[in-house]
Amino acid sequence: MDTLHTLLLAFIGIVVVNNLVLTKFLGICPYLGVSGRIDMAFGMGCAVTFVVTLAGTLTWIIDHTFLIGTPLEVMRYLCFILVIAGAVQLVEMYLRKFFPSLYESFGIFLPLITTNCAILGLCLFLNLWEIKRLDEAVVLSAGAGIGFTLAICIMAGIRENMELADVPGPMRGAPITLITAGLLTLAFMGFAGMI
Amino acid sequence: MILASAMEMIHNALPAAVLALGLATLFAVVLLIASIKLRVETDPKVEEVYNVLPHIDCGACGFAGCASYAKAVVANPELIGRCSPGGAETSVAIGRALNLQISGGGAPSRPIVHCRAHREDKLFHAAYDGIESCTSANAQPDVQACHFGCLGFGDCTRACKFDALHIVDGLSTVDYDKCTGCGACAKACPRNLIQMVPFTQDNMMTVACSSRESGKTTRTFCKVGCIGCGICAKQSDLFTVADNLAKMNYESYAPSEATQTAMDKCPTGVIVSRGQTAPADRQPGQKAAAATA
Repeated sequence: MDTLHTLLLAFIGIVVVNNLVLTKFLGICPYLGVSGRIDMAFGMGCAVTFVVTLAGTLTWIIDHTFLIGTPLEVMRYLCFILVIAGAVQLVEMYLRKFFPSLYESFGIFLPLITTNCAILGLCLFLNLWEIKRLDEAVVLSAGAGIGFTLAICIMAGIRENMELADVPGPMRGAPITLITAGLLTLAFMGFAGMI
Repeated sequence: MILASAMEMIHNALPAAVLALGLATLFAVVLLIASIKLRVETDPKVEEVYNVLPHIDCGACGFAGCASYAKAVVANPELIGRCSPGGAETSVAIGRALNLQISGGGAPSRPIVHCRAHREDKLFHAAYDGIESCTSANAQPDVQACHFGCLGFGDCTRACKFDALHIVDGLSTVDYDKCTGCGACAKACPRNLIQMVPFTQDNMMTVACSSRESGKTTRTFCKVGCIGCGICAKQSDLFTVADNLAKMNYESYAPSEATQTAMDKCPTGVIVSRGQTAPADRQPGQKAAAATA
């Protein structure tokens, strides 16, 4: 029961309170780049969720088996990036095989998940927050992906509706998107301190 | 001394090297297995066809982009010839990729704007201060006196991916050097002023007006509109007049003395030449001969 309680709190914490996109400002590039349409945003969210779950779990294992407590800790970034790049390659092949239309609509953004700072950020946070247990690491990784999906889907929904809005000329396009992102962040600040 | 410190450095770095190498090998094996299991068979013909397409994804063929057109054309060779930016050359190249004999195909189609009234040529009842797009301006009945002519807010300019259409002094003007004939402008124009015409010659003669008002009414709001007088139709069979508007027959287009006379005799100068080397439009009332003399 206690375990479940901890895991649930960790999950809610990473999805809304410490949302990587809206409170840590990580992974902003796909957040603004692929949030034009909800279906694409959701697809991107799913891909990132898969990669971050896989990468977070694997890096936690590698971190705790080989790195922590040894001089090899300096290798952390290198190993983590290697894991992330491998996972992204796997996702790319999988999508190309089973979801070709999604694969085509992602274009360059799919390989760019490799450099998505939210993923490396989460892997490093797992170390920084001194997560001691594997199940907690898995839940936090998956929660980070779901939090990213939540943020990008909300953003895509707002942007789809904004297409119909009468935005003043100089604000059209990127400026109003950035202002929207800022307001959304302010809204999520309301969750701060909840846990 | 140096050797000893070098040895020590190597000794310290060894675990890191082993770790990195081990991880890299692990992922190499996993990805190798995945690439075999998840291989996607691609038809080499599709790639070959895709390579000869212009790669501009304009959508003139009716498909989402060059990649999907390539896929469709391999599956169904009847679709060859839909690529208007590529023109006859691309059709031949696709045919070569698919081992089919394709002859050059027809003349490239290019847009002609059936209006020649610049801002000073036409009458405005009031100033329009709404959204700057032809589609919304067209919803206002009295945005300008002529209900048929170019609105000049540039929906066609925005539709053009090739920077080949510009609003010049209130009139949509085609830059035939840049135009690829994708037809996006023709779809964008809310007044259907733009017609895709097979350019059998460099310059095509056309009636640059769409006004179906009676000649008398047209004269009240436009200096250069077609008044449906029928002088051109008397000169050449290529012109027909219906609904107070002369039209050029492009199916049997063949310019001759007679069409040139019709062009010179047109009282409002609405018969003009369009194309890469077309001469400047004649001013209304000015005789062509007088202009050149």
